[in-house]
Amino acid sequence: MPGTPRTSLSALAIMAGLGLALPATAESVITWGKPAEITGFDVHVAGTVASWEMYQMVYETLLTTDDDLNLQPGLAESWEEVSQTRFIFTLREGAAFSNGRVVDAQDVIGSIERIRNPETASYWAHQLGEIVSMEALDDRRVAVDLARPHATFLPALAHITAAIIPVQEYQAGEFNPESEMLGSGPFMVSAHNQDESWTLLRNPHYGRDGYPRADRMNVAIIPDESARMAALRDGRIDFTTFENPDAPQMLGTTAGVAHHPIQTTNYYRFDVNALSEDSAFHDRRVRQAMNLSLDRDAINMLVFNGTSAVDYPVPAAFGTDACHDLDTYALPREERLARARELLAEAGQPAPRVELMAASANPVLVRIAEVAQQSLAEAGFDVRIAAVPTAEYLQRVFTDGDFDFSASWLAGYTDPSMVIQWWNPNFAVWNLAFQEEVPELSEALAAVRSVPDSPERDEALRDICAMIDEGANLLALVSKVDYVVYRSDQVEVRLADRTGSANTWQYIAEFAPAE
Amino acid sequence: MRLIAYLLPRILAALITLFGVSVLVFLSLRLLPGGYADILLGPFVTPEARALIAQRYGLDQPLVVQYMRWVWAMLGGDFGVSMVTQRPVIAELLRRAPVTLQLALIALTLALVVGYPLGVLSGVRAASRRRKRDFGRVVGAMGASVPDFVLGSVLIFVFSVWSLWFRVGGYVPFGTDPVGNLRTMLLPGLTLSVFGVALILRTTRDTVLRVMTEPHITAAVARGATPGAIIRCHILRNAAIPVVTVVATYFGFLLGGAVIVEVLFSVPGVGLYIFNGLLNRDYAIVQGGVLLAAVVFITINMLADVLYALIDPRVGAAR
Amino acid sequence: MSGVRQIARRRLLGDGLTLFGALALGCLLFLGLFGPWLPLGDPLRIAAGPRLGAPSAQFLFGTDELGRDFLPRVVQGIRSTFLLSAIAVAITAVIGTLLGLAAGYLGRHTDQMIARGADILFAFPALVAGLLVAAVMGPGQASAITVISIATLPLFIRVVRSVTLGVAGRGFVTAAEVAGASTLRVMLVHLLPNVMGAVMVQLTYALSIGMIIESALSFLGLGVQPPDASLGSLLRQGSAYLTIAPWMVLTSGAVLSLAIMSVNLVGDAVRDALEPLKGRPLT
Repeated sequence: MPGTPRTSLSALAIMAGLGLALPATAESVITWGKPAEITGFDVHVAGTVASWEMYQMVYETLLTTDDDLNLQPGLAESWEEVSQTRFIFTLREGAAFSNGRVVDAQDVIGSIERIRNPETASYWAHQLGEIVSMEALDDRRVAVDLARPHATFLPALAHITAAIIPVQEYQAGEFNPESEMLGSGPFMVSAHNQDESWTLLRNPHYGRDGYPRADRMNVAIIPDESARMAALRDGRIDFTTFENPDAPQMLGTTAGVAHHPIQTTNYYRFDVNALSEDSAFHDRRVRQAMNLSLDRDAINMLVFNGTSAVDYPVPAAFGTDACHDLDTYALPREERLARARELLAEAGQPAPRVELMAASANPVLVRIAEVAQQSLAEAGFDVRIAAVPTAEYLQRVFTDGDFDFSASWLAGYTDPSMVIQWWNPNFAVWNLAFQEEVPELSEALAAVRSVPDSPERDEALRDICAMIDEGANLLALVSKVDYVVYRSDQVEVRLADRTGSANTWQYIAEFAPAE
Repeated sequence: MRLIAYLLPRILAALITLFGVSVLVFLSLRLLPGGYADILLGPFVTPEARALIAQRYGLDQPLVVQYMRWVWAMLGGDFGVSMVTQRPVIAELLRRAPVTLQLALIALTLALVVGYPLGVLSGVRAASRRRKRDFGRVVGAMGASVPDFVLGSVLIFVFSVWSLWFRVGGYVPFGTDPVGNLRTMLLPGLTLSVFGVALILRTTRDTVLRVMTEPHITAAVARGATPGAIIRCHILRNAAIPVVTVVATYFGFLLGGAVIVEVLFSVPGVGLYIFNGLLNRDYAIVQGGVLLAAVVFITINMLADVLYALIDPRVGAAR
Repeated sequence: MSGVRQIARRRLLGDGLTLFGALALGCLLFLGLFGPWLPLGDPLRIAAGPRLGAPSAQFLFGTDELGRDFLPRVVQGIRSTFLLSAIAVAITAVIGTLLGLAAGYLGRHTDQMIARGADILFAFPALVAGLLVAAVMGPGQASAITVISIATLPLFIRVVRSVTLGVAGRGFVTAAEVAGASTLRVMLVHLLPNVMGAVMVQLTYALSIGMIIESALSFLGLGVQPPDASLGSLLRQGSAYLTIAPWMVLTSGAVLSLAIMSVNLVGDAVRDALEPLKGRPLT
């Protein structure tokens, strides 16, 4: 049965007053101004936030996280950690795909198998650890056995790439995950005009009664920030996000516009090429000198107008103090610069010539590069900036390893020992093109994966952080804040104060037109 | 018969041109650094994943094979599918073509309505008063000098700060909501038309100046014909010929997709589609879009040639 | 002869609009050429002033989002936009003239090949071609120059070819051929001087087109690389802050339009001066 349509009270009153016959239903509609189109339909494959954000409307994962990034029930109403290597998940009663079929244990097993299948080319296969077997205990219960303890197994299931797809329809050839979306999430796709708009309708079979509150969500794809602002001002869109910290200020005088910065576990970062013989950064001392002479405060003040904060390899949003007392962060800048110059002199390269690459599609990255260029010059670096198209940036960094260093941002996900695995190139295989393997760091990283959240783990993270800083191969700069802006006079929203995994709209089912 | 003899070599030349365009666009796309695998997988690309994606979309075949396949499919009307959506490119191009066409028609109409009369007037005045300092020159010089993205940015500023009737973005089809459609399409149309105004004005003005030095005008003046009659009977028809050529080129240029204006005003036309396809390395979109634009451009220029031949019989006879 | 010169001089100088164009062009050229040595401030220094500061006595054009003084940035932008376009157009003029001469004089297959080549370039949607070239070559000055050359090459080829066709059959060319002059000699010594006037006229048009293309590429982030400024990249920078810092778009947009206009006005005057009979009065 479809959920009861909601009708605006005032509309009812007016129509009653005029003595008009009521139309069958008054549809409640919300409109999302989405900054970028998806890059592909396959929820298990696409590795871009623009795609994840859309998948999160349509698909569900077994687990989710709350505002404190603790695990919460998702499609699984409960889970049991039988041992460090055995987990039993119980699916929510009544959870169903938007075609009406109830989600069962085989969907879970089939989805995880699809992710793990090398033919799928899913980057998430590694994150799940080594699964030995999966078994359906009954229609709603699945047991998963791991080869060895893997502390990030559960957090990995909370990321949208681990979405549960309708496996029965997929295997029957009725559903093609490469060109359509069919999930158990709050909405289902009704229409799509590439690069222009989407129409999502409420999933009538969504597991939570009375949700989603909106009958329909229109999605307008508006990449240009000025155009997005114009749309907010006109009231053509109800909610959106900006990368530019000045966007809220630019909209400041418009009535009805409300701002909500969301802290994330994501941070802006530099990838430094330790492997290329052609790069000055091949010498670890040059990398360390660069790390020391960076002025993270200046990046925060100038690029983000002070709304961000200096960040650390273990993201500050997780609340650990790992890395905070390292020289890179704790020493006064003058001393850091002096140390950097010494290191450069030792390396025999007092004025290294390096190229800093940034994807030109994101003006924030280019601004970070411009500020970094100037602060690095103080230590003697001669930095040239290359603002290039996204595809070129990705290929040169992650495939060719043909670069000196590059600006981008890191998704911190929902667990510190998960994100920290990025420093193990055997695990984060996509970093093999530029990341130097440090055996003791890799060992420590492998060990911390099986340590649950505890003071003991915090201690391990502190040691790891020191090693990461020593290698200066992948640097944390400042936190990435999502600047959510919405029309409070048009839409009722619920927003988290903190998110991981780019799950900005995790409470989308609770959005509704304002009364 | 004469018309066919006139057209045949032109059609042949056009086919050669199209072949050249197809090879150029195909090759240059393959030369671009980065591919769809990068866009799809983001930073998580590994050599294995890249190979799988390439295989999935037939990108692992030799270039010649890929090119032949593409051309063969194109001849059957199949422009290929977008790698992002897995949907046929031709369907999306056809859906967007009316948007670009409407934008081009708005721009062209504005340019003609303003540019042509101003050009005639300015030409006549300049010729009769020995003065170069007339409004036509000022308008022409200004119109040709303000790039569309400057004008577009300023218009967006003005119309988004003071929410006047016009809107930036939020396209709706004319059939669904004519007023809403015009609210979003007039500003980009206006932006595009300014260059056209200048182009048509200057061409018309030059032609009028040139026509007015010809003996039959002098003869008409000697006959005592009124200036109005001279303009109507002698100048307008003669001035039309070069204007037709310029208008055709301008229209072809507009239909090729006014990328910047479409990006700036979020107009979902062909130009924006090609632009995004290029950013996403979605080859079929760029290949199909560019070829379609070239076909339209060449056809319009050819039509102008025919029109030219019809207006001025000397053109065909000379060959 | 002196009469024609007199008319030409009067047309160049006696007309307010042309004078305005020439003066503006002179000023902008001066700023472009000598800007780096003028005491205007450092275009690259971050945090020289407040972020997004409005124009003031200290910062005449305001400051940008990283607190850079916008006036020296605009001056640097003039330099990039002018110089890149001028270099590109100069190169293109040489190549285009030679190709046009060859097409017009050698005829037949050479003509066919060159004409088809020009057609292909012309049929390609201009900006898409630019985007492709810039993407293949990587953003930067070299690709901006290439894109401008590709876009303006057909202009030179077409004009030079048609003028050459008109001149090639004239007596002095035939005389040179009979006297045994080599093909190259005929083209360079006898034909070239006759097409120079047409080339000069095209040169100014190509320069204004080149400036539009350069700034369009930079506007899309494919031209001059940051932190260096071109008028187009400044516009791109400013368009993100239009509502709270309109001075960025307004100053750089005005200067860019003025620059293109001055080139156009001077170009018109050059053309009028080279075609002294046109525009004879009606009565």
